[in-house]
Amino acid sequence: MSSIADGTGRVEARPASERRSLPMTAKVALLALAAAIPLLFAGDYQLRFLAEILIIGTAVLSLDLLVGFGGLVSLGHAVFFGGAAYAAAIAAQTLGADVVVMLAVGIATGMASALLMGVVVMRTIALFFLILSLIVGQIVWEVVFHWREVTGGADGLRGFPVLTLHTGFATIPLNNGVALYLAALVLALAAYLAARSFVTAPIGRALLGTRERQLRMSALGYSIPRIRLMALLASGAIAGAAGALYPFVNQYVGPNAVHWTMSAMMIIMLVIGGVGSLYGAFIGSAIYLGIQTYVSSYTDRWQLVVGLVFVLTVMIMPKGVVAGLKAAFGRRKDAEGRS
Amino acid sequence: MGFYAVQSLNALSFSMLLLLTGLGLSVVLNLMNFVNLTHGSFFLLGAYVGVYWLASGAPWWLAFPVAFVAAGLAGFLLERFPFRQFYARTHLMQVLLTYGLSVIFADLMRWGFGAQILSAEIPEALRGVVFIMDMPFPIYRLFIIGFGAALAFALWFVIDRTIWGAVVRACVTDRGFVETLGLDTRRIFTAVLVISAGLGGISGALGAGILSAYPGLDEEVLILALIVVVAGGLGTFRGTVLSALLLGFAMTFSKVWVPEFSNVVALAVMAALLVALPEGLVARKVRQV
Repeated sequence: MSSIADGTGRVEARPASERRSLPMTAKVALLALAAAIPLLFAGDYQLRFLAEILIIGTAVLSLDLLVGFGGLVSLGHAVFFGGAAYAAAIAAQTLGADVVVMLAVGIATGMASALLMGVVVMRTIALFFLILSLIVGQIVWEVVFHWREVTGGADGLRGFPVLTLHTGFATIPLNNGVALYLAALVLALAAYLAARSFVTAPIGRALLGTRERQLRMSALGYSIPRIRLMALLASGAIAGAAGALYPFVNQYVGPNAVHWTMSAMMIIMLVIGGVGSLYGAFIGSAIYLGIQTYVSSYTDRWQLVVGLVFVLTVMIMPKGVVAGLKAAFGRRKDAEGRS
Repeated sequence: MGFYAVQSLNALSFSMLLLLTGLGLSVVLNLMNFVNLTHGSFFLLGAYVGVYWLASGAPWWLAFPVAFVAAGLAGFLLERFPFRQFYARTHLMQVLLTYGLSVIFADLMRWGFGAQILSAEIPEALRGVVFIMDMPFPIYRLFIIGFGAALAFALWFVIDRTIWGAVVRACVTDRGFVETLGLDTRRIFTAVLVISAGLGGISGALGAGILSAYPGLDEEVLILALIVVVAGGLGTFRGTVLSALLLGFAMTFSKVWVPEFSNVVALAVMAALLVALPEGLVARKVRQV
């Protein structure tokens, strides 16, 4: 039986960016320039929207660690993200919304749920892992949905204190589009670097090994459950950090943030952006949320559009739009060169 | 006593729906090694067909064959394109493709049939209740139990006891070998997928009488059917039957005993099962090396 895991093709642990010709400094400068452009042209609403893309993209990035490198397709990933979002929202009401405290609460919640999930799913792989993570996620959703006193039930929670950043001299409120966008940008960048160092570290290579050759890895003396648990914890921490900021973008968190359809949405984003590429998470999140926001203002059928884009991506560009477009252009260049 | 007898029958009728839906899914998964997440869409399509057919005044019993044909036709077309290209791909790619398709179908059906809940008009012959130990029990649910059991038995018999079933099972083991015997395995796979889709449609038409038909039902049913098939263990008919019964009874009795947390309890039972038996209830022996 083929494993559910190895569908993504071989993923090099080394990110594609390192192999490109541009020098590192030039790339950093380009990236900074690209990140600065919205600050000049986008309004408050668009900046908030970009912040949402970056935050959800960060959660998708953490899912990429599991799917792209560990071959662990989880349908319970929303628990790490949504659970942290709820924890931050609840903590903000008593502790106040200091951004460092919020991130700490979110990361702790994300890791705790990852630990719980890890203990439960440890022995399962492939379809069994998929279903068990789904069941765990739905149990959490049921609890969130029915525990009205704490989570607000179906209504969710809204109205939190203003997110603030305490520096040595002053307290900066993070309640406008610019500040939220910058905060999300820092979060996304930090998460990207953390994830990249995870997959290039020995633990990341070992994770790839458990995906590609499970039996050989255990013969070599690696504990596969332990490696997977480490991956889950890293993933949970990143997803938790993203979740901690999520409620403050729209001043709302609802039970849909932990529902399995949220996990499915993250997988869709991941596949559109490119599994195993890390940066693809942000591209997928931008495409999905872009369709959702802009197409839904023209037609009710935005789910149809998302579905079509997704199915076409799977059929034509199974490695994601970036890799797909690159391959298409590369082919054309080759053809020109030959003629 | 009578109360528990009636609740057991309730659980049995729900288990039967889970079993029929799960069997459709597991036939394709076990015999063709294809994960088909559009199965929930076949169920919902069958449910809509059933609702409209029963409301139309045509002979009621034809609703089920018609639902079978409608969903089977959808399955036939999908098998041609794009399922066939994905048989040789990994489960992940199949999951992605079919989940994406199910999103498309969900939206198309919401477009075509509307977003409201459509409940089925139960035919005259099946309306009313019978008394079991002085407790009323709907005849329609008895019908589901009987019809479902007959259908499941027929499916088991065909796959396990006839030459056609043997051919299909042989395709799983060694497709090339079956080809050398002069059989067109592509047509065999088409037939299996059509039967599976049709089963999804029939389950939908049957289920419409108690679950109604509405957008979102496809996902709910798909999740339950997936849990049934996977928790039962891949590649076993027995396991699917057992886990359908387990889930059906767990869901029904948790609603009786702990109504607020019924789904939590039922899901926890299935999770505990998978934690204890990571390969499902009945595990297939697989050589690792």
